[in-house]
Amino acid sequence: MKEMKRTTFEISQFGRRLGTRLEGEAARRALLDALDRLPPDGQLALSLDGLDVLSGSFADEAIGKVCQLLSSGVHGDRTVVVYSPSRDLVEDLDDKLAQRKLAMLCRVGKGRAAWRVLGRLAPPLVETLELLNQLGYATTKELADRLGIPANACHNRVRRLAQLRLVREERLDAAAPSAQYRFHAIVA
Amino acid sequence: MRLTSETMEEVLDAVASGAQAIDLRSVTSIDVHALLLLDLVVRRAREEGRPLRVAWPASAVRSWMTAMGFFADVKAESVPRSADRPAGARQDLASTSPSSLVVNPIAAIGREDDVSRLVGAFDERLSDRFPLDESPRRRFLRILLELFQNIPQHANATGDVDPHGLAALHDDGDRVELAVADKGIGLARSLALRGDGSADRLSDADALRAVVFDGVSRFRDPGRGHELERIFRLVRSWEGTVLVRSGTALLYQSDLGGDVVGVAPFPGVQIALSIPRSVFGIGEPAPLAPDPARGGLDEAVAPDADSGFNEGDETYDV
Repeated sequence: MKEMKRTTFEISQFGRRLGTRLEGEAARRALLDALDRLPPDGQLALSLDGLDVLSGSFADEAIGKVCQLLSSGVHGDRTVVVYSPSRDLVEDLDDKLAQRKLAMLCRVGKGRAAWRVLGRLAPPLVETLELLNQLGYATTKELADRLGIPANACHNRVRRLAQLRLVREERLDAAAPSAQYRFHAIVA
Repeated sequence: MRLTSETMEEVLDAVASGAQAIDLRSVTSIDVHALLLLDLVVRRAREEGRPLRVAWPASAVRSWMTAMGFFADVKAESVPRSADRPAGARQDLASTSPSSLVVNPIAAIGREDDVSRLVGAFDERLSDRFPLDESPRRRFLRILLELFQNIPQHANATGDVDPHGLAALHDDGDRVELAVADKGIGLARSLALRGDGSADRLSDADALRAVVFDGVSRFRDPGRGHELERIFRLVRSWEGTVLVRSGTALLYQSDLGGDVVGVAPFPGVQIALSIPRSVFGIGEPAPLAPDPARGGLDEAVAPDADSGFNEGDETYDV
């Protein structure tokens, strides 16, 4: 994984029980401020520690909309990942991201728990993401070889993952007539 | 006679047909959904300048209504003292505390910035009453948060009505019953605000189906909507029941399924959830005092003699 600056954002600063769109709007403004303060390839670790309840409306307003902005590219290479102490806390966020056809990486529990995908991500993309997360980084060709799929198909997969800010894309030789890319996991 | 979601429809029918008075004296129990609807019916009639005359049920039922905060909310006049014990009432009624079944009395839902505090109050009362399992408790709170904020978010989206949002929570002995109700613009008018022509002229039944089954919202933002759909899914998984009423349509759904039926017109959206207590990790129902407002006590509840009605009143007898 490529080194990046990671900043933790405690969502519990807005309360233990987060429910309304109105509250979500205030949290989103603070989240976007924190994102803007990150370096261009920085990562915001959204911690749900200390929360009792996270409703779908709040989750969509504060996190879903930020995720939408990230995938539109307005925040460059910045990424956001979620840390949740429990699975049920992120159930509604999961649904809301799926509604928006978006996805985020989430680590549930303490320590080295596995990363899981929240939201909607097609199984081939999940397969590719999991492989890249294991490897840390790889070129399209390396991934295609391991997955046993054509390079073009693999490239489409990783480009979509990069667009969703689930992996980071690095152009290897900007001067070369045919661009070569390496893709980096955003989680270790 | 029990005033339930079903029999309350008869009252609404009668009021829609011009009844000016409702006789509730033979009512021996009221469910929480019917109670909120009754509240809104009385309130709406008063706002329209044709206040309903109501003959209230016997005092045992009134005690429960009082404990639920009904009379305080509707500011009903001429309510007999709720502590009066009706003639012929069994002795055990005297020691009954109807408030023992009230988890949260009627609460007004107004501004969105008050919703979290209100949900906190419901949580506190629910948790005081039951040793709840964490996971279903959190899921239930998420339901409250979504249903409560629907009122400030949608019930007066046109800015021309007073939705008078209400919520209450009742313990039925083996089920927890939640009712959330308003007399706002209802689902069909709300969806017509989408502005894309897709839901401009939906009937109440089609609007109800669109909201519950398709997750449609008045907002075109893809992150909006699907809340009721999710709540239905969750409550069904708990083997509970859900009822949603809007305008002239009502959807009742249990784990066996359900569909939309036509009902008497009434503005707004009214929702009732009934969830088995076992969902919250409560095995055996806690010992409860007999509930004078629930079933099984019909013979013990005698109507008050004086209805206050006059000869010739157009009266609906429940």
